Amino acid sequence: MKIKKWGSGVFVGFFFFSLFFAFQAMAADFPTKPVTLICPWPPGGAVDTFFRVYAESTKKYLGQPVIIENKPGGAGTVGPAAMAATAKPDGYTVAQISVTLFRYQHMMKVDYDSLKDFTYILGLSGYTFGVVVKSDAPWKTFDELIAYAKDNPGKITYGSPGAGTTQNITMERISKDRGIKWIHVPMKGTGENMPALLGGHINVAADSTGFAPYVDSGQMRLLVTFGEKRTKKWPQVPTLKELGYGIVVESPFGLAGPKGMDLKVVKILHDVFKKGLEDPETLKILEKLDMLYAYKNTEDYVKQVKELFEEERILVEKLGLKKN
Amino acid sequence: MELLNYLHTGFSVALQPINLFYCFVGVFIGTLVGVLPGIGPVGAMSLLLPITFKSTPESAIIMLAGIYYGTMYGGSTTSILVNIPGEAASVVTCLDGYQMARQGRAGPALGIAAFGSFIAGTFAIVGLMLMAPPLSKFALRFGPPEYFSLMFLGMTILIYLAHGSMLKALLMATIGIVLGLVGLDSINARPRLTFGRMELMDGIGLAPIVMGLFGVSEVLLNIEKEIQIKTFDTKIKGLLPTAKDWQESKWALVRGSLLGFFLGILPGGGGVIASFITYAVEKKVSKHPERFGKGAIEGVAAPEAANNAAAGGAFIPLMTLGIPTNAVIALLLGAFMIHSVQPGPLLMKQNPGLFWGVVTSMYIGNIMLLVLNLPLIGIWVQVLKVPYKILFPLILLLCLIGVYSISNTVFDIYIMVVFGVVGYLMKKFEYEGAPLVLAYILGPLFENNLRKSLIMSQGSSSIFFLRPISAIFLILAFVILISPLIPGIGKKRDVVAALTEEND
Repeated sequence: MKIKKWGSGVFVGFFFFSLFFAFQAMAADFPTKPVTLICPWPPGGAVDTFFRVYAESTKKYLGQPVIIENKPGGAGTVGPAAMAATAKPDGYTVAQISVTLFRYQHMMKVDYDSLKDFTYILGLSGYTFGVVVKSDAPWKTFDELIAYAKDNPGKITYGSPGAGTTQNITMERISKDRGIKWIHVPMKGTGENMPALLGGHINVAADSTGFAPYVDSGQMRLLVTFGEKRTKKWPQVPTLKELGYGIVVESPFGLAGPKGMDLKVVKILHDVFKKGLEDPETLKILEKLDMLYAYKNTEDYVKQVKELFEEERILVEKLGLKKN
Repeated sequence: MELLNYLHTGFSVALQPINLFYCFVGVFIGTLVGVLPGIGPVGAMSLLLPITFKSTPESAIIMLAGIYYGTMYGGSTTSILVNIPGEAASVVTCLDGYQMARQGRAGPALGIAAFGSFIAGTFAIVGLMLMAPPLSKFALRFGPPEYFSLMFLGMTILIYLAHGSMLKALLMATIGIVLGLVGLDSINARPRLTFGRMELMDGIGLAPIVMGLFGVSEVLLNIEKEIQIKTFDTKIKGLLPTAKDWQESKWALVRGSLLGFFLGILPGGGGVIASFITYAVEKKVSKHPERFGKGAIEGVAAPEAANNAAAGGAFIPLMTLGIPTNAVIALLLGAFMIHSVQPGPLLMKQNPGLFWGVVTSMYIGNIMLLVLNLPLIGIWVQVLKVPYKILFPLILLLCLIGVYSISNTVFDIYIMVVFGVVGYLMKKFEYEGAPLVLAYILGPLFENNLRKSLIMSQGSSSIFFLRPISAIFLILAFVILISPLIPGIGKKRDVVAALTEEND
């Protein structure tokens, strides 16, 4: 009996002891445990690859591991939506926010509000998109392709990584603006889009830089990229903007936590994730994946989010994809 | 000879002690992951990816590849022992493997699975080495119409999986197709049958369905039978396949290896489709198709050979075109990128040491797996002696953890439990799970490629008949459909039906 009492005394002692430390930790320093970063894409894609390297680089500055949790679905919307609905705004859970989060809100009924349910932390990166044709295709420039499509309505079939993806939306914008009619064949990701072009099942492919190896080995010709500036890797290829299409698409993405996060924690996370982004290892993988360095501080990122939300609303309406 | 040169380059990389070590770690983890239901190679590989950041690209890829093909070895174990597929490609192995275990022949079943995996795995490596470039060119000729026709053929073959009532099998297949419709329509990204739930936007996951239908339902069924059934701990007859077993399964192994390898090369194909098509083929060519589903060793040998050969075949589009054909290969692609290596047409020229090193390491890995797995058979068989009241809660726990770990959502657990109850009722009323699962897998591919083809042809269905590869598949499917009308072939099905009725 005596031993038992003694045991419970020690237990109670430990309990208060640990409670004391828990409180102190909460007040003094964040973080005291690993931070979970939700990657809303399946393992293995470009974004997932980037985050795995980025998490390793950020660990050094955070003093705690960054754990990548893949929660794929709904073109990158299920992960952040689930976080907004269930995670505590304590800074230990953050998610990647991609443009689809804003787009889907206009396209269909979703159970989040991207303007209200998140605490945006910082902007990180964006993608390089472009249009490729097979190297034996007759079109040497993007203008030639557009001219052909204009004269031959319904003759050009183009593939994209899926319906409602940025590549698909951009190609439809071009067709609306130029009054051309081409046929969209929605593929399942780059992994299906590239072989379909190589095998001659489609004439044109709009994709992100999954086309890099084929362009470099001379099997495909890159006609145009969608970014603000020409790419470092293919400086001879013009942008849509230069060609006078008035379109710049980089699909910037960043990090956010659930709504209601403590501003001090946001500041710490911002500083640490910024250092991680500027780490040489991270910059190296960004270049490897042809992704942009597009850092934005918290204030600018929040501003950008509002702009993107509005942009997507107009686009979705214009292309007739609005929810009914 | 050039090839010998390459092999020399390869082995000089693969036989370095550090790479041997990574290879062993890879296949060892792969075996474990394969045995645990639900925890698939994708999860394991993404967890271990950061560990490889500091190693050489050769070591990293050798280990990750080892996990992948190691999983294919281990996946059959739980299918055979407790009727729960360790991963999707082993669903078909349950059909005859579990029956063999019930007859006290778990040892030979596990043995033929291990040897079959070894033979098919080695075959696939030889194929990868000799024929990679031409084969990857051939795979490119598969566009949406070809896939549509292949899926059409697959759907036609599906009926051979049933061993009971044809009507019930068709009913199950229909339900499978409807389940496959759930989620965003792949052509215009409109939600279908999602009932406004975000979780359903990407459809119902394969793993919760399979583990519910096969695993949880089996546990439920056994809880109620616990007292009566004593058959399981009857004597275990032998640990290795006998000469007769080999005799019966040798051609199944050959056919499984060949079919699996070629289906593995196709994007979107992979082990799952390969395993059930070879099963159906075996049943079709067998002189005693009535034995299938009741513990025929060919029914284990063929699909196990097929899914291993498919794992090897899947490396071809990755290494030669830089195209990932499934999620695991996509992860490997990511690993290549992290190590600044671009897989694709230039890989063999720019990084011969890496390419041939990885290929030859697969030989070594396959031998390691065989050596690792054969002694394990004795241990696994002992699992069957564990009392139900300990074994089944454990199985249930593993299923729960496994399903949760795939996409980290509780919703998947609910789905698994619902399908567990459905599967239990299905077993009670003698409906089979396999046609449902396979229709669920094929349905979306079938629809997606049908619609893409018709978009390409602007609505004309002639596209399916004018393209030679597509036309061949359709003719094959047609022959199968009318085969009951041809005397001789038709009789076999009647005999099967009669025998099945007798047994019931």
